[in-house]
Amino acid sequence: MNVTNEDAVQSLAQVEEVMAKTRQSLVSAYAGSFLILWGFIWVVSYLGTHFFLMWADWIWNISSALGIIGTVFIIRRQYGQGPARRNPSDKRFLLRTILFWPLVFAYAFAWLSIVKPSNGIELNAFLVTAVMFAYVVMGLWFGSWLMVILGVVVTGFTLVGFHLIPAEYYCLWMAVTAGGGLLGTGLYMKLRWR
Amino acid sequence: MAELDNTIHQPVRLQIMSSLVALDAGEEIEFVHLRKLLNLTDGNFGAHLAKLEEAGYVKVKKTFVVRKPRTFITATGKGRDAFEEHISALKQIIGAQQKNNLKGK
Repeated sequence: MNVTNEDAVQSLAQVEEVMAKTRQSLVSAYAGSFLILWGFIWVVSYLGTHFFLMWADWIWNISSALGIIGTVFIIRRQYGQGPARRNPSDKRFLLRTILFWPLVFAYAFAWLSIVKPSNGIELNAFLVTAVMFAYVVMGLWFGSWLMVILGVVVTGFTLVGFHLIPAEYYCLWMAVTAGGGLLGTGLYMKLRWR
Repeated sequence: MAELDNTIHQPVRLQIMSSLVALDAGEEIEFVHLRKLLNLTDGNFGAHLAKLEEAGYVKVKKTFVVRKPRTFITATGKGRDAFEEHISALKQIIGAQQKNNLKGK
């Protein structure tokens, strides 16, 4: 077989491109819809809280309930379509994931009962950083650096919002950075990593 | 000295193998997902997949998921080894060219 240097360079570039595209498409197939859903819910809830502060509890209770319903809907749809990939260890991972998220919230609420935040911003920043910590752990677990980076970046934005942004603009800041971060990442995955 | 693999070198088959090797060992990808990812037609994809299966480089499993027929594809150990050797051979060609260029200077 006669392969020139140019052919070899081109083939290796193609190999790298396809390998990256495969990994990205599989991450997008599973995580993209969840990020879009929760990003949208965060954007709407933070904006709602900013403009209608007296209804903040209702806004967050209703939007969280809608988020959980949406999550169940996406899981059912993905299950119905069949998986894009299968791994012998899938069942073990699925069970661990199902146990992981309720435990994260159980611990978050246990810690809340100890630290007792004195206002809504403290409560919100605590819960957002707890959820982002869970993203980082999931990212490390499944080998997705994007999840790790997303978790760390949104945590950073939350800390900046908590420590440096005036309280009256906290929700606007979080709508753009945290909600926008999740929504933007999810949309990017769906549009560019198909 | 690593050798180029005639079966893998064909561009479509190189793409298929690259995609499968990107997965963990034993991990399988769904037929339609991979076909769409590589932007191939059903016939073209099926024909190249058959060649790779014939060479023992991939394993194709037909199964039912939620009562719907699904086909999953995975790279075999032999396929992964052949792919690695092919990549090494390509790198050697580039390395040899770089050496020649340096000698020429």
